[in-house]
Amino acid sequence: MKFHLRVFVEIENLGKAMNALTDSGITGFYIIEYKGMSPEDWEGFSIKEDPKSAITMIKDYATDAVQICTVLNEEQIPIVEESVNKALKDDRYTIIEIPIRKIIVNYGGQEKKSKEVDVWFLEKKVPCFYCGEDTAQRIRIDMNKAKIWCTNCGATRHYIVKGSEKPGE
Amino acid sequence: MKIEPWTLKKSSKCYNCGDATIHEVNIDQYKMTIKCRECGFTRYYNFHILETPE
Ligand SMILES: [Zn+2]
Ligand SMILES: [Zn+2]
Repeated sequence: MKFHLRVFVEIENLGKAMNALTDSGITGFYIIEYKGMSPEDWEGFSIKEDPKSAITMIKDYATDAVQICTVLNEEQIPIVEESVNKALKDDRYTIIEIPIRKIIVNYGGQEKKSKEVDVWFLEKKVPCFYCGEDTAQRIRIDMNKAKIWCTNCGATRHYIVKGSEKPGE
Repeated sequence: MKIEPWTLKKSSKCYNCGDATIHEVNIDQYKMTIKCRECGFTRYYNFHILETPE
Protein backbone atom coordinates (compact mmCIF):
# COMPACT_ATOMS: atom_id res chain seq x y z
CA MET A 1 0.00 0.00 0.00
CA LYS A 2 1.15 3.52 -0.76
CA PHE A 3 1.06 6.35 1.76
CA HIS A 4 1.03 10.12 1.57
CA LEU A 5 3.62 11.30 4.04
CA ARG A 6 3.76 14.87 5.32
CA VAL A 7 6.62 16.18 7.38
CA PHE A 8 5.99 19.53 9.09
CA VAL A 9 9.10 21.46 10.11
CA GLU A 10 10.10 25.02 10.93
CA ILE A 11 11.62 26.78 7.95
CA GLU A 12 15.20 26.78 9.27
CA ASN A 13 15.10 22.97 9.39
CA LEU A 14 13.97 22.49 5.79
CA GLY A 15 17.44 21.56 4.51
CA LYS A 16 18.02 19.03 7.27
CA ALA A 17 14.62 17.44 6.69
CA MET A 18 15.12 17.25 2.91
CA ASN A 19 18.51 15.58 3.34
CA ALA A 20 17.00 13.12 5.81
CA LEU A 21 14.30 12.20 3.30
CA THR A 22 16.81 11.83 0.48
CA ASP A 23 18.97 9.60 2.71
CA SER A 24 16.02 7.32 3.30
CA GLY A 25 15.48 6.80 -0.42
CA ILE A 26 12.83 9.40 -1.22
CA THR A 27 13.43 10.67 -4.73
CA GLY A 28 10.66 13.20 -5.18
CA PHE A 29 8.67 15.51 -2.95
CA TYR A 30 6.85 18.81 -3.00
CA ILE A 31 6.89 21.60 -0.49
CA ILE A 32 4.19 23.84 0.89
CA GLU A 33 5.08 26.92 2.91
CA TYR A 34 2.67 27.86 5.62
CA LYS A 35 2.21 29.93 8.74
CA GLY A 36 1.84 27.69 11.73
CA MET A 37 0.57 28.22 15.25
CA SER A 38 0.88 25.48 17.76
CA PRO A 39 -1.95 24.87 20.25
CA GLU A 40 0.31 26.07 23.11
CA ASP A 41 0.87 29.45 21.42
CA TRP A 42 -2.75 29.78 20.52
CA GLU A 43 -4.22 28.91 23.87
CA GLY A 44 -5.92 31.80 25.63
CA PHE A 45 -6.18 33.96 22.52
CA SER A 46 -9.36 35.09 20.94
CA ILE A 47 -9.31 37.52 18.06
CA LYS A 48 -11.63 40.06 16.59
CA GLU A 49 -13.32 38.39 13.71
CA ASP A 50 -12.61 40.93 11.01
CA PRO A 51 -10.15 39.68 8.36
CA LYS A 52 -7.60 42.43 9.08
CA SER A 53 -7.21 41.49 12.74
CA ALA A 54 -6.93 37.84 11.87
CA ILE A 55 -4.16 38.50 9.33
CA THR A 56 -2.26 40.80 11.71
CA MET A 57 -2.50 38.15 14.36
CA ILE A 58 -1.01 35.54 12.05
CA LYS A 59 1.77 37.88 10.91
CA ASP A 60 2.74 38.65 14.51
CA TYR A 61 2.45 35.31 16.18
CA ALA A 62 2.67 32.52 13.64
CA THR A 63 5.92 30.75 12.77
CA ASP A 64 7.16 30.24 9.22
CA ALA A 65 7.03 26.57 8.55
CA VAL A 66 7.05 24.11 5.68
CA GLN A 67 5.33 20.89 4.89
CA ILE A 68 7.31 18.39 2.84
CA CYS A 69 5.03 15.92 1.12
CA THR A 70 5.79 12.70 -0.66
CA VAL A 71 4.23 9.43 -1.71
CA LEU A 72 5.95 6.23 -0.67
CA ASN A 73 5.52 2.52 -0.06
CA GLU A 74 4.54 1.33 3.39
CA GLU A 75 7.81 -0.60 3.85
CA GLN A 76 9.78 2.62 3.48
CA ILE A 77 7.99 4.44 6.30
CA PRO A 78 10.07 3.16 9.28
CA ILE A 79 13.24 4.08 7.40
CA VAL A 80 12.01 7.63 6.80
CA GLU A 81 10.90 7.99 10.42
CA GLU A 82 14.28 6.83 11.66
CA SER A 83 16.17 9.11 9.31
CA VAL A 84 14.07 12.21 10.16
CA ASN A 85 14.36 11.48 13.86
CA LYS A 86 18.12 11.20 13.59
CA ALA A 87 18.42 14.51 11.73
CA LEU A 88 15.89 16.47 13.79
CA LYS A 89 15.92 14.88 17.22
CA ASP A 90 16.48 18.23 18.94
CA ASP A 91 14.00 20.11 16.77
CA ARG A 92 10.26 20.27 16.48
CA TYR A 93 8.64 18.29 13.72
CA THR A 94 5.41 16.46 12.98
CA ILE A 95 4.89 13.54 10.63
CA ILE A 96 1.47 12.58 9.31
CA GLU A 97 0.99 9.37 7.34
CA ILE A 98 -2.15 8.91 5.28
CA PRO A 99 -3.02 5.72 3.40
CA ILE A 100 -3.77 6.25 -0.29
CA ARG A 101 -6.74 4.52 -1.90
CA LYS A 102 -5.86 5.30 -5.50
CA ILE A 103 -3.49 7.38 -7.61
CA ILE A 104 -4.40 8.54 -11.10
CA VAL A 105 -1.67 10.11 -13.23
CA ASN A 106 -2.35 11.39 -16.71
CA TYR A 107 0.64 12.15 -18.93
CA GLY A 108 -1.45 14.05 -21.46
CA GLY A 109 -0.42 11.79 -24.33
CA GLN A 110 3.29 12.29 -23.64
CA GLU A 111 5.49 9.36 -22.83
CA LYS A 112 6.75 9.28 -19.31
CA LYS A 113 10.38 10.25 -19.78
CA SER A 114 12.32 9.50 -16.67
CA LYS A 115 12.53 5.90 -15.64
CA GLU A 116 11.26 5.43 -12.13
CA VAL A 117 14.14 5.32 -9.72
CA ASP A 118 13.91 2.07 -7.89
CA VAL A 119 15.45 1.73 -4.47
CA TRP A 120 15.03 -1.47 -2.53
CA PHE A 121 14.98 -1.83 1.23
CA LEU A 122 15.43 -5.15 2.98
CA GLU A 123 15.96 -6.07 6.58
CA LYS A 124 17.49 -8.96 8.46
CA LYS A 125 17.51 -9.41 12.21
CA VAL A 126 20.85 -10.91 13.20
CA PRO A 127 23.61 -10.12 15.68
CA CYS A 128 25.58 -7.15 14.38
CA PHE A 129 29.15 -8.07 13.41
CA TYR A 130 30.32 -4.80 14.99
CA CYS A 131 28.34 -4.20 18.22
CA GLY A 132 27.05 -7.75 18.64
CA GLU A 133 23.46 -6.66 19.32
CA ASP A 134 20.75 -8.93 17.85
CA THR A 135 18.89 -6.22 15.98
CA ALA A 136 17.62 -5.20 12.53
CA GLN A 137 20.34 -4.81 9.94
CA ARG A 138 18.93 -2.70 7.10
CA ILE A 139 19.90 -3.08 3.49
CA ARG A 140 19.47 -0.40 0.87
CA ILE A 141 20.07 -1.36 -2.75
CA ASP A 142 20.33 1.28 -5.48
CA MET A 143 21.18 0.64 -9.13
CA ASN A 144 24.86 1.48 -8.68
CA LYS A 145 25.49 1.06 -4.96
CA ALA A 146 24.23 -0.65 -1.84
CA LYS A 147 24.71 -0.43 1.90
CA ILE A 148 23.96 -2.42 5.01
CA TRP A 149 23.74 -0.74 8.37
CA CYS A 150 23.04 -1.71 11.93
CA THR A 151 20.01 0.08 13.43
CA ASN A 152 21.67 -0.11 16.83
CA CYS A 153 25.23 1.11 16.37
CA GLY A 154 25.16 2.52 12.83
CA ALA A 155 28.11 0.48 11.52
CA THR A 156 27.70 0.53 7.73
CA ARG A 157 29.11 -1.66 4.99
CA HIS A 158 29.15 -0.01 1.56
CA TYR A 159 29.10 -1.91 -1.74
CA ILE A 160 29.48 -0.59 -5.28
CA VAL A 161 28.22 -2.15 -8.46
CA LYS A 162 30.72 -4.10 -10.50
CA GLY A 163 28.58 -5.13 -13.43
CA SER A 164 25.68 -7.14 -14.63
CA GLU A 165 25.19 -10.25 -16.67
CA LYS A 166 22.37 -11.20 -18.98
CA PRO A 167 21.76 -14.91 -19.35
CA GLY A 168 23.18 -16.39 -22.53
CA GLU A 169 25.81 -13.69 -23.03
CA MET B 1 35.76 -10.18 12.01
CA LYS B 2 33.74 -12.86 10.23
CA ILE B 3 30.51 -11.87 8.54
CA GLU B 4 28.00 -14.62 7.83
CA PRO B 5 26.52 -14.78 4.32
CA TRP B 6 22.83 -13.93 3.96
CA THR B 7 20.25 -15.00 1.38
CA LEU B 8 17.19 -12.80 1.00
CA LYS B 9 14.33 -12.45 -1.45
CA LYS B 10 12.78 -9.36 -2.92
CA SER B 11 9.82 -9.20 -5.27
CA SER B 12 10.18 -6.35 -7.71
CA LYS B 13 9.99 -5.49 -11.38
CA CYS B 14 13.03 -6.89 -13.20
CA TYR B 15 15.18 -4.39 -15.13
CA ASN B 16 15.82 -6.97 -17.81
CA CYS B 17 12.66 -9.00 -18.43
CA GLY B 18 10.32 -6.32 -17.05
CA ASP B 19 8.19 -8.79 -15.12
CA ALA B 20 7.35 -8.57 -11.46
CA THR B 21 9.54 -11.40 -10.25
CA ILE B 22 11.33 -12.74 -7.22
CA HIS B 23 14.95 -11.68 -6.99
CA GLU B 24 17.46 -13.59 -4.95
CA VAL B 25 19.76 -11.33 -2.98
CA ASN B 26 22.98 -12.95 -1.77
CA ILE B 27 25.26 -10.98 0.47
CA ASP B 28 28.58 -11.83 2.01
CA GLN B 29 31.53 -9.94 3.34
CA TYR B 30 33.04 -9.20 -0.07
CA LYS B 31 30.17 -9.12 -2.55
CA MET B 32 26.45 -8.92 -3.20
CA THR B 33 24.57 -10.49 -6.11
CA ILE B 34 20.98 -9.91 -7.17
CA LYS B 35 19.46 -12.40 -9.55
CA CYS B 36 16.06 -12.47 -11.25
CA ARG B 37 14.52 -15.90 -10.85
CA GLU B 38 12.70 -15.70 -14.18
CA CYS B 39 15.31 -14.52 -16.66
CA GLY B 40 18.54 -14.97 -14.72
CA PHE B 41 19.64 -11.35 -15.10
CA THR B 42 22.21 -10.69 -12.37
CA ARG B 43 23.78 -7.56 -10.91
CA TYR B 44 27.05 -7.78 -9.00
CA TYR B 45 28.29 -5.44 -6.29
CA ASN B 46 31.67 -5.44 -4.56
CA PHE B 47 32.40 -4.50 -1.00
CA HIS B 48 33.77 -0.97 -0.91
CA ILE B 49 34.26 0.47 2.58
CA LEU B 50 33.24 -0.04 6.17
CA GLU B 51 31.99 2.95 8.08
CA THR B 52 32.10 2.55 11.85
CA PRO B 53 30.29 4.67 14.43
CA GLU B 54 32.32 7.46 16.08
ZN1 LIG C 1 25.72 -2.79 15.50
ZN1 LIG D 1 14.13 -10.88 -15.13
